[in-house]
Amino acid sequence: MNILETRGLFHDFSGLQVLSDVNLQIRDGERHALIGPNGAGKTTLFNVVTGTYAPSRGQVFFKGRDVTGWAPNELSRIGMGRSFQITSTFGRLSAFQNIRLAILSKRGIRFSLFRSVDKMREITRETEAVLDRINLTAERDRAASALSYGKHRALEISLALATDPELVMLDEFAAGMSRDETHYAVDLVRRLTEGKTVVLIEHDMDVVFSLADRITVLHRGEILATGTPTEIRHNQAVKDAYLGDLEV
Amino acid sequence: MDQTTAMYVAQGLHGLAYGMVLFLIAAGLNVIFGMMGVLNLAHASFFMLSAYLGFQFVSITGNFWLALLLAPPATAICGVLMERFLLTKVHAFGHMGELILTLGVAQIILAAVKGIWGTESLPLKMPPILEGRVTFAGLDYPIYRLFIIGLALAILAVMTLLLYKTRLGKIVRAAVSDAGMVNALGINIPLVFMMVFGIGIWMAGVAGVAIAPILTVFPGLADQVGMDAFIVVVTGGFGSLLGAFVVSIIFGLLSSYGVQFFSQFASVLIVGFMAIVLAIRPNGLFGARDA
Amino acid sequence: MRRVLPALSWLAGAVALAVLPTVVGPYYTNVFVTFAIFSVFSVSLNLLLGYTGLFSFGHAMFFGAGGYGTALALKHVSGLALLPAVGAGVLASLVLALVLAPIVVRVSGTAFAMLHLAFSQVLYVLALKLRAITGGEDGIGNFPIPPLNIPGVASLPMKDSPQNFYYFAIVLLALSLWLMWFFTKTPFGQVQLAIRENAKRTDYLGFKVPQSKAVIYLVSAAFAGVSGSLYGLFHNLVSADGAFGALVSFAPIINIMIGGIGSFMGPILGTALFLVIEEVTSRFTERVELVIGLIFVFVIMFAPLGVLGTAKMLKQKWLAGRTARDAVQRAA
Repeated sequence: MNILETRGLFHDFSGLQVLSDVNLQIRDGERHALIGPNGAGKTTLFNVVTGTYAPSRGQVFFKGRDVTGWAPNELSRIGMGRSFQITSTFGRLSAFQNIRLAILSKRGIRFSLFRSVDKMREITRETEAVLDRINLTAERDRAASALSYGKHRALEISLALATDPELVMLDEFAAGMSRDETHYAVDLVRRLTEGKTVVLIEHDMDVVFSLADRITVLHRGEILATGTPTEIRHNQAVKDAYLGDLEV
Repeated sequence: MDQTTAMYVAQGLHGLAYGMVLFLIAAGLNVIFGMMGVLNLAHASFFMLSAYLGFQFVSITGNFWLALLLAPPATAICGVLMERFLLTKVHAFGHMGELILTLGVAQIILAAVKGIWGTESLPLKMPPILEGRVTFAGLDYPIYRLFIIGLALAILAVMTLLLYKTRLGKIVRAAVSDAGMVNALGINIPLVFMMVFGIGIWMAGVAGVAIAPILTVFPGLADQVGMDAFIVVVTGGFGSLLGAFVVSIIFGLLSSYGVQFFSQFASVLIVGFMAIVLAIRPNGLFGARDA
Repeated sequence: MRRVLPALSWLAGAVALAVLPTVVGPYYTNVFVTFAIFSVFSVSLNLLLGYTGLFSFGHAMFFGAGGYGTALALKHVSGLALLPAVGAGVLASLVLALVLAPIVVRVSGTAFAMLHLAFSQVLYVLALKLRAITGGEDGIGNFPIPPLNIPGVASLPMKDSPQNFYYFAIVLLALSLWLMWFFTKTPFGQVQLAIRENAKRTDYLGFKVPQSKAVIYLVSAAFAGVSGSLYGLFHNLVSADGAFGALVSFAPIINIMIGGIGSFMGPILGTALFLVIEEVTSRFTERVELVIGLIFVFVIMFAPLGVLGTAKMLKQKWLAGRTARDAVQRAA
């Protein structure tokens, strides 16, 4: 089954057509990369799918349901998670508090007014488990914005995953990382997304080829090609569009 | 025209005059907000300060025109000093910092004005040329109010020309849209901000001297007219000059017809109008900017 | 010993509060009541400001609603008991907050602040003009203040007994503070902080931001209403200027800024400091605006974190410096 599907998706910003007739199909359980040059519309597609904006035209289906125009929080509650290219955490809150928020949401504890949160041991335990998996236990009480870049990115990705979504949308999760940090991040993502469906926007082809089961190439708001990494590597239209941009 | 119509037209012109004064104040406030994201709560205080300075100039020279010429720039200089030495230091704290700082300055100006000129209402005499009435279309109308309308429209025309026909105007319009980008293009944004701030305060200053003969000069000016101007900006929409213009006129008319027909409750009418607009469009009639 | 210390401090504090009226005399007891009322008022605003990042300029409208609600209830409902009267004030505040919530939760930042200023102006004007209901400029005064009836135990008259009123007010205000403190400790308190830090991400994590803001708004309004109600009872007078006037609007903001915006105790400390400043300066000058203006300007320019915030920052710097010095020493 396709866990995520867009049908006839169009989006424009004040007359500028950014997405044209995008029919994306993401299979349940796969890791799917979205690539294309800057301005191709990748982040806009992400924004439309995750609820930042409603598309000008077309539909989005998640787990078979029409979720076109749903708000981000609604999509989160039915199992969609999203990370951001520009790190977007709760800066002055500690790493622990950051993750705990995601855990609280996962457990449906959103309007609870009658218990002291620090005394909720289950929540604390789950949060600590997540921090452990991303190697942030030592920094659990440090403010998010005070973390090193790599650890801050790990927190960023982890926030998206801590609500335990079935579908994770990762926007350039390795943005700004060194070679070593990137290797580490790829390994982290692979471990943390076991059993989940992942859609990732990526520029780094090494990352794409080590993670992706399938790739969709976006060009000027349209899907140019979809296929396995090998197929895409040998796709003439893709090559023509990029003239070596793929660095294969 | 007959008596009743004449009365309505006269009321309308009164309202228009007041609306134009409000617009001079609100326009400056609006552009400053649109471009710098700063809501200057001291704006109305400068308006009042200019009225007081105007009073002082008239006391010394006996010449209204001199006051009208000198008081607004003097006030603008004070405003620019505040912008340069105080406001720039609190940008780091975002909007709240600016609001608190300008609020503080407003209180200080109020205290200064009371301290120097006392709490009594001071008269500012209009020039003899503008005293008296003029008759047209069967209506007998005070010249001075027509002068105010004319003055405001003239300033509006000059400002529009400046904005749309000069290079500086183009820069300012771009800066309202995206100050960071304009800065990145190598244009001295702090200087542009300072100039726009100065011009905004200057316009408020002109309004202050202009309305002083009618309202007299007193410490409550800032609160009274300032609140009206503020309501205009909020209702018209932050960052929208057109909104400010439209609402200023509506406001002026509501104010004058309101007093005529509802006396006590005119102010309720006005704030009620604002409440309704905000309930439907929280960002104001023409507002789009999210702070 | 360490575990006993907090409990001992609370006990000592409670004892101090209990004997305060007899120790300091009636004038300072009244000052303390004013301090307590404005502490609760300032903390209620800080729930919005410091904890959620929502800046409200017109919080006085909830203070005023509380006062008018209680005064009107006591004036028109004969035989109304004391606690229900306070409840009426809180209810008035809540109703106002419910009416405004749908509008205000859709905006943030400057627009939020300005909307509030605008609405509080509306209420101020209404309070002045609707003479028949609100008494206009004179306000509502000399309304009956019933005794506090503890069934089966005692009936404590309030009207001319400043001491009884002190105890009543202090208990109510302390309870309010404790409830607000607890509120910040709940999971919902974490959501508040999240909204302040990054409302967008909070949305993406599955939280309903507008609804959450509404709840915080209501809670904040309710406690502002409590403080307003007690203020009205304290003076046996509720008037437009006293309830919605500029000083009432600005006081909580000043208190929060002076004391420190990022902490629970900050506004309380700020309230105390500001009261002291007011007492001292009122002996030298009538220019209350000058004092307020100067405080605003100085605090925001030189100590924007307030007393507690600056203290915390200095402590962290000292600690960080000490860690570095230790490391250098060990390496030497």
